[in-house]
Amino acid sequence: MASRFRFSVEGTNHAVSVEDSPEGVSVKIDEGDYFPIDATTSGVPGLFSIIRDGVPTQAYVTRDGRALRVIVDGRVFVLAPVGAGGRGRGASGGMADPPGIITTPLAGVVVDVKVSEGDTLEPRQVVAVVEAMKMQNEVQAPMAGTVKRVAAQAGSRIEKGDLVIEYTPAEE
Amino acid sequence: MFKRVLIANRGEIALRVQRTCREMGIETVAVYSDADRNALHVRNADHAVRLGPGPSNESYLVIEKIIEAAKQTGADAIHPGYGFLSENAEFADAVANASITFIGPPAEAMRALGGKISARKIMEEAGVPTVPGANDISLDDFETAKREADRIGFPLLVKASAGGGGRGIRLVQTAEDLEGAMRASASEAASSFKDATIFLEKYVSPARHIEVQIVADQHGNVQAFGERECSVQRRNQKLVEEAPSVAVTPEIRKRICDAAIAAAKSSGYRNAGTVEFLMDNDGNFYFLEVNARLQVEHPVSELVYGGVDLVALQLKVAAGEPVPDPDGPLNPVGWAMECRINGEDPFNNFVPSLGLVDFLQLPAGPGVRFDTMLFEGLDIPIFYDSLLGKLIVWGEDRPQAIERMKRALKDLIVSGPITNQAFHLELFDNEDFRNGDIYTSWLESNFTMPQLPEEDPRLDTALIAGGLAAGIIAGATAEGTARPIGLSRWVAASRSIARRGIRVDGGRTGWRRGSASQ
Repeated sequence: MASRFRFSVEGTNHAVSVEDSPEGVSVKIDEGDYFPIDATTSGVPGLFSIIRDGVPTQAYVTRDGRALRVIVDGRVFVLAPVGAGGRGRGASGGMADPPGIITTPLAGVVVDVKVSEGDTLEPRQVVAVVEAMKMQNEVQAPMAGTVKRVAAQAGSRIEKGDLVIEYTPAEE
Repeated sequence: MFKRVLIANRGEIALRVQRTCREMGIETVAVYSDADRNALHVRNADHAVRLGPGPSNESYLVIEKIIEAAKQTGADAIHPGYGFLSENAEFADAVANASITFIGPPAEAMRALGGKISARKIMEEAGVPTVPGANDISLDDFETAKREADRIGFPLLVKASAGGGGRGIRLVQTAEDLEGAMRASASEAASSFKDATIFLEKYVSPARHIEVQIVADQHGNVQAFGERECSVQRRNQKLVEEAPSVAVTPEIRKRICDAAIAAAKSSGYRNAGTVEFLMDNDGNFYFLEVNARLQVEHPVSELVYGGVDLVALQLKVAAGEPVPDPDGPLNPVGWAMECRINGEDPFNNFVPSLGLVDFLQLPAGPGVRFDTMLFEGLDIPIFYDSLLGKLIVWGEDRPQAIERMKRALKDLIVSGPITNQAFHLELFDNEDFRNGDIYTSWLESNFTMPQLPEEDPRLDTALIAGGLAAGIIAGATAEGTARPIGLSRWVAASRSIARRGIRVDGGRTGWRRGSASQ
């Protein structure tokens, strides 16, 4: 029986098919061919050892919301479900949200909320500043619009993914 | 020797000091904020005192609370670590007034070296080369300032005497811009430091950051432990440090160490300290400042000077013992490098990343040392800096140290916060870096992280593992074929005890959720 999973990695979609038969496990990436692998997670859940063509590699997989976070040789890959937007790149916040809401990309303390209800938003406008680990990080608007509701409060703690503001996207 | 030492710090440096105390038979007192209740430095101490809520200005920066904790536990000495109160002369005074030994320099030396102009004057008198500049200028006498600027030459820097963290600094390219820059610098300095005193300095560029480790005892002896190079910096933050420096010959080493020793002696310095210099392409070096404390990067010096324990030396000289060998060999053995492992995402503009550490695999093997506050189950607090640990390697030479670091960086797995390991791996493959062809502005002007995961051979492994994990979660991959013994455990992992903590809190018993995303 084969299962097909689709992931969005930094905005690019990938499909992984896993064929599970009595002979062993085969995997296909995107439009490539199936290749056999020997994989195990023995002991530590999420810590995969994968042997392909006699070459072992190691990966640690953990859940991050609806996404999977995979660590391979010092690099972290976020495998987001396709269609969920994935993780924003470049800007330090807000770019991965669906239109209408802005959430914070990191946990910290809200040091400043720079907009109020009814304000007009420009793309990349800073709507709030979140401080974590002694660094101030700007949460930006992904697109133009009008602020509908401000949810974040200056001085309060905020968790990753919490709502900062709701807004009405501008008409195209 | 001391009986009980209070460590007025947290994180990896608190652990570092604790380890040496334990080896010397000295009891340790940990202090902690509420956010650090679960930290290793609290768990491992002999005594622990709560300071207050998480923010530093309500806990680790409150002098009275720390003095009170020392009195309450009968500590006879305080080690300040780095950061927080370590270079605060008021704190050093308060410790001394409570008849407790401060493991660091005297307050007078801190004050003399704290002002950039007063430090420059001390060094000029002691014959230590300083960056060519003008100390006595002011906005009231612009003609003098202009004459001095012409003598120094452009480009030059206008700096604030009380400056720190890059504030109050202006780069001036031409004489026309001088007055405006002086006004801007003075006004910024006045608002940031309540001290508008400014001075001029030649702009040395490109420059390497070279610093000398010294330890001074109470008997007038100063021992130097060679140089470290810390030219890989981003926004004035050091990211990689090494000892020795590719640019320092034995002849330069002798001169720069002599200069550092003279700097320490002329300022009445005691205990461990670092004298920082800028060095140009011709091997000319100029005094920058003294860091009056143990440095983050002290381990690289330890590794190339016979494994000397600098914290043990700090304790010994604070207790009145002499430094072991003021005329000890100056040249290092082998090569040591340190990578700061920070909780920040190198592919996302180095945005801070924290969370619950749900899995940790530590590097080991020959020549590898990892000084860290991490453990599985640690929920990294938001209030402090992003340093999670320091990965340090020793090799027979620089190329071996580089390869060893790459190996160790790949062996290290930190799950929870995203770390800058991928940045370090890219850096250690960079040709300029491997050639030692680096200067302080190199990283920001010459280095970018490759962005596209499609070109990364690690992506395939990530996708395979992701597919298998998704299959297990969905129940699609049958047990027995992939033989994931931990399969059922893995499915439950996100709900498992690793993601929670049991806490008894003020009579309320219950589960506390970790702050990590679910």
